[in-house]
Parts: sequence; structure tokens; C-alpha cells
Amino acid sequence: MIDPRKVIVCRCEDVTLYDVEKAIDEGLTDIELLKRKLRIGMGPCQGAGCLLVVASILARKKGVRVTDIKIPVSRPPIAPVQLKFFAGSRRSG
Amino acid sequence: MARRILIIGAGVTGLFTAKQLLEKGFSDILVVDKNYPGSGGSFRCATGIRASFTSREHVKIMLRAIELWPKVSAELGIKYSRDGYLWLLTRESDVEYFSEVVKFQNSLGVPTRVLTPEEAGALVPGLNVSLVKAAVYDPLAGKASCFDSVVNTLRHLLSRGVRVEWGVEARRIRRSGSGFAVETSRGELEAEIVLVAAGWGSRRLLETIGVELPIRNLPKHALVTEAFKPVFKPLVIDWATSSYIVQLFNGNFYIGADIPEEYDVKPAHKLEFLRKAAGVWTRLLPWLGEVNVLRYWTGYYDMTPDHHPVLGPVEGFEGLYVAAGFSGHGFMMAPAVAEALAEYISGGKPGLPEFERLRPERFARGELIKEIAVFG
Ligand SMILES: Cc1cc2nc3c(=O)[nH]c(=O)nc-3n(C[C@H](O)[C@H](O)[C@H](O)COP(=O)(O)OP(=O)(O)OC[C@H]3O[C@@H](n4cnc5c(N)ncnc54)[C@H](O)[C@@H]3O)c2cc1C
Repeated sequence: MIDPRKVIVCRCEDVTLYDVEKAIDEGLTDIELLKRKLRIGMGPCQGAGCLLVVASILARKKGVRVTDIKIPVSRPPIAPVQLKFFAGSRRSG
Repeated sequence: MARRILIIGAGVTGLFTAKQLLEKGFSDILVVDKNYPGSGGSFRCATGIRASFTSREHVKIMLRAIELWPKVSAELGIKYSRDGYLWLLTRESDVEYFSEVVKFQNSLGVPTRVLTPEEAGALVPGLNVSLVKAAVYDPLAGKASCFDSVVNTLRHLLSRGVRVEWGVEARRIRRSGSGFAVETSRGELEAEIVLVAAGWGSRRLLETIGVELPIRNLPKHALVTEAFKPVFKPLVIDWATSSYIVQLFNGNFYIGADIPEEYDVKPAHKLEFLRKAAGVWTRLLPWLGEVNVLRYWTGYYDMTPDHHPVLGPVEGFEGLYVAAGFSGHGFMMAPAVAEALAEYISGGKPGLPEFERLRPERFARGELIKEIAVFG
């Protein structure tokens, strides 16, 4: 048996399988609330690496299909972009 | 107390009020939200908390909220810190205006003070002080985690038997017996007491029972960057451009900036916002240009004509209460608002008389809240 404290689910924010299961057991049975509790999906990759994993853990615990879990939306600019690139020359319009 | 209370809206206002009502002895409380808890303004906000306003009502209510924040934060494990607010003034005319504002605030016990550009620079490393004529600092102001505020309060309520159900949209309110029937996407709910704390959905919902409120929704834009170790504490406002930046507890920089917007339209992402946010803040904080933007989102301010909330019992509808129209300041005042609403709902009056000035009838009576001067 693998120790859930040693299984990393979200690398950006350093969240383990244990953290995810514990939060669900405490009543956070919505992926949007897990996001705000654990910061999954709030790092540089916006959940590309973890949200599907979290969704499948949540689906298993709730006894629903993983396709029933609505994944949080990705926000622009999707991939990290340095602020200076938006501050550049101001075209008219 | 046996009376059933239905709270529509699971943002900070609805959730904090449910907690207060529980403490008053109400036990039959149901909170519904059409989306998920926090999905309205509450999870989108900049988390700033201050009493440095320009109306007596705002100042008094926020001072009470600031008295309550440490208690709520200790009880519910919400990160909260008095890290201050700093206004950067880049125009001579603003310096004059703010010296009046500071006098007004000091007279009500808010410890704002004028700083030199160098003093401002000492609070914000790397600030381009050559652009700044003067600054105003409010050491009593601060910030709290909006995520903790919703998530921890939700868990607190659920573990004490309060029902919070989401994915339930309230569509219509009507009178039923001595209380109300609320049509929802999951059938009809009956309650003797209904609190509408539905943020930008409040106006439409109240119209269904014949209550007209002048709340209009104004799109707002915000972004966060990647996280860093603590760089500066205060929430910093560039007054001339209506833009602000704050480093959140997790280390990300949160930037908001005003761009021209219309009321009651669906918010859309606009390159213009990114240009303005980046333009203003890379000029004032040149090092920020190297920092990565991670996410950009939109939200609404639920605005009223006098920029103060609509709060309290709805005249002519006994048992119906509203708390909406926070005009961009509903997060910071939530602890004080919850306290006042619980007092109204349990048959009393808020301890703070300023709350009575925010009642919904003020618009029909033409008793709008006055500011000491017009504030952008
Ligand atoms: C970009 C931005 C920055 C901000 N910064 C700050 C700040 O620094 N400090 C500050 O104090 N405030 C700030 N605010 C304002 C603050 O976010 C709001 O005033 C506050 O969150 C209001 O909380 P609420 O609970 O009243 O409303 P909301 O959090 O909006 O909650 C209302 C809830 O009602 C639900 N709802 C709506 N209609 C219905 C319906 N028909 N049936 C069921 N449910 C419904 C919604 O889904 C929502 O969850 C900011 C807002 C934005 C957009």
C-alpha cells in the first residue's frame, strides 16, 4: 500500500493524495471548493496536470462517474505570460 | 427558534449571516446557491479591508467590521492581516483632495496619514517614487483570504446542521401564508423568513415579488501573477488610474484596473484590461514586467446609485430581508453586515445606527447616502 501522504497530485502547489481525500471527507465534495481549499488548478499549469486526477478521486469517493464532475474553467492567458508583453506598444483602437 | 429561514446566495454575506443566526439560536436554516458557494463576487474579489472611506456610514460600518475580523478569523481559521492600504497620488490636485479626506477620516477615528514619496517607497520596494507626488497610508486596513472565508464558514455551518445546497437557482418569490414560497430549479421551498443575499442576482429575484431596487451590475476585471515570497504588505492603489495591486497571502500579486464598461452586460475578457494593468503597474513597479501573469477573470460589482449597499427588512413584506448592492465593498463589511442582519431577523435593531440609513426604502424616499466629496 502506498502512503497517500507521499503521492503528489498537484505539483505546482504541492498537494498530496492525502490532502485531497481528507478535504473530501471533511465535506468539500465539489471540485470548485477543493480548488479554493487546496489551490489545485491555481498554479502555473492551471490544473493541466492535476484536475483530471482530482476529478477521478472525487468521482470514486462520491460514487459518480468522472464525466459527471465539471472541471473548473481555464483562464486566459492559459500559459504564463510576462506582464511586460502586455505593457508593450499601444496600438490605436 | 422554530421559524425556518431561507438564505438565497452562498457568498460571504449569506454564509456569515447563517453563522450569526445560528448563534442567535435559529436552527432551521437553509442556504441555497444557483452555482457553488463563493462563485459570485466572493471568490473573485481582491480581499481588501479598510475603513478609510468618504461617508460616515461606510466608515462606521467598516470600523465595526475591522473590530470583528480578528474574531471571525480566529474562530474560523481565516487568514487575516492588518497590512495597510497605500494610495499613490501622482497629481497635485489629488494631494489637495486627499488632505481633506484624511481630515474627515481622522475625525471619525480612522488613522490615515499623508506620506512623502520616499516613505511610500519604504513600504513598497522597487516603487518608482519619481512618479509619486505624495501618498496616503491607512495602517488599520488589511486583507483576509476570501477562500478561507467561504470554505471554512461552509464547513462550520455544515458540521452544525445548517443545510447549504448548491446548484439550486431561486426563480420566483411569492407570499404564502404568513411566509414565502420560493420557486427554485429543484422545486418549491417554503420559509417564514427569506434573506436575499444573491449579489448580482438579487435585483431580478426581488422583482418577482414586486420589489424594485436600483442595483446595476458593472463588469470588473482582475488578474493574478505567479507567487513570490512576501515583497510588500499594503494594498497599493494608483488613484489617477483607478488601479490597484495587492500581494495575496499565497504570494501571488493580484491586480485590478478600471477600463470603460457598460452596466448589465455580460463581462468579456478584454486585451484593453491586460494592457492597462500591465502599463500602469510596470511603470510604477518596473520589476513587475518580468513577472508572469497566470490567470485573468471578470466579475461584477453590484452597484447602487449612492454606492452603498441595500440592507435590511423590505418594507411591506414582513419576513423578507435583503443584503445586496455592495458596490465593490461587500467582502470587507461582511462580518458587520451579518451581525446587523441577525439583529434585524431576530426582531431587534442593529447596534450601529448607521445601518438604518442603508434600508431599501431610502431610494424611494430620496434619502441617498452622501459622501464628503465625489469619489471616483
Ligand atoms: C474584481 C473584484 C474585486 C473586488 N474586490 C473587493 C475588495 O477588495 N474588498 C471588498 O470588500 N469587496 C471586493 N469586491 C466585492 C465583493 O466581492 C462583493 O461585494 C462580495 O463578495 C459580495 O458578497 P455576497 O455574498 O453579497 O455576494 P456574492 O459573493 O456575489 O454571492 C451571491 C451568490 O448568490 C448566488 N445567486 C445569485 N442569484 C441567485 C439565484 N437566483 N438563486 C440562487 N443563488 C443565486 C450567486 O451564485 C452567488 O454565489 C470585489 C469584487 C470584484 C468583482
